[in-house]
Amino acid sequence: MRLTIPVAKVLSALLADPDAPRYGLDLMRLTDLPSGTLYPVLHRLRAAGWLAADWEEIDPVAAGRPARRYYRLTGDGVQAARLALAELRALAPEARPSRGGAEPTGAPAW
Amino acid sequence: MVTRRLAGVLLRAAAQRWPVELRDELIREWDAELHVLAGRGERWRMLRFAASLAASRAGVPEVDRAVPERRLRRTARVLLLAPPACVAIVALAAVVMSLAYAVLGARVAWATAVQLPLWSGLTAGAGALLALLVTRAARRTVRTGPLATALGVVLPIGLTVTVVLAALAGSGERGLAGTVPGLLLWLALLVGALWGAGILARRGRTRLAWAVGVLGALVAADAAVVLAVVSAIPGATVGPVADGLPPDTVDRVSAPLWLLTCWTDSSLGLPRPTAWERFLITDLVLVEPVFYLACTPYAVAYAVAAARPAAATAPAPEPVPSPA
Repeated sequence: MRLTIPVAKVLSALLADPDAPRYGLDLMRLTDLPSGTLYPVLHRLRAAGWLAADWEEIDPVAAGRPARRYYRLTGDGVQAARLALAELRALAPEARPSRGGAEPTGAPAW
Repeated sequence: MVTRRLAGVLLRAAAQRWPVELRDELIREWDAELHVLAGRGERWRMLRFAASLAASRAGVPEVDRAVPERRLRRTARVLLLAPPACVAIVALAAVVMSLAYAVLGARVAWATAVQLPLWSGLTAGAGALLALLVTRAARRTVRTGPLATALGVVLPIGLTVTVVLAALAGSGERGLAGTVPGLLLWLALLVGALWGAGILARRGRTRLAWAVGVLGALVAADAAVVLAVVSAIPGATVGPVADGLPPDTVDRVSAPLWLLTCWTDSSLGLPRPTAWERFLITDLVLVEPVFYLACTPYAVAYAVAAARPAAATAPAPEPVPSPA
């Protein structure tokens, strides 16, 4: 898994609360990524087995909207994401100024 | 309403750049997000959401971007290495045939008669093994149209033949110019045979595709042999014949059998071609028919395997309770 900045942003957002399922617009808000960047990243993480995607179980008629797809880190994904982000952080210069939006959820939970 | 419709058009355009097996689910997912934005009256966000997906080159997902490159390299490897492998098969089979003849020649009377059948048999067996390897490799090669696949198989064969002919010409081998028309005809007809096989395989008619591919390749090889013989050996006596020797002619009536004659050194129990005609034919076209035999199995196997539709691998989604 090649860890690009968009991938790191998505992993940070998901690790902030690993048990919370996130839908696309939610992750766009948390990561500040446009949809055209976010969805390929999600697909990539799913293909690597780090991410699980499940359809919301609702009655679209009763809810008045179609079911959304929710994303959640898998058990392996949580471990792998923590390790990958820790390695990424270890590579970054200590004195490097913070890049706005790189850690959109504040202090990540790893 | 117009904004929603425009966003929908953009989403469907975006989905076209994703793998086919993912499109329906992606459109469903994106439509659900658009619905939420529409409910909030966030029209510009709807458009931005859809336009970003439509404009992003990531319509081919990042994880899949490396796959076509790997497939392309694998395809090039398979298609470029297979023809030299066929040349090696023909040469190796010739060496084995010579060794066998050296052993049998002094012991049995039929040693000469089995030379060509042995060469052909060994070549066909090794060609079939090569076809198995190529078929396995074809599962992960580039999928294109049947014509492109046929050309992709045949052009490297043509390239290999050109290199071999150039090498032989440099070594002083004579009579190479006479082989070129037959080889070109074989390559041209082989494209047609592989193209037809690919079209049928793509439609799921695999057995028929194999039949068309094999029969077409046989016709191509036979036509090439016939052209080479007809171009060089007259069909009827045109001048004085030396005493005690049959005329250097080959009756055209047996032309369809000449390919089998080259492979088996036999008339298959028929009166033509005669023993002298068989000698003339195999003296003129000796290596080419065996090379056609080496190439045919893998060429047809690849054309059929590469044209068959790939199985979809998209995982089935599971519903979950709606989060609060």
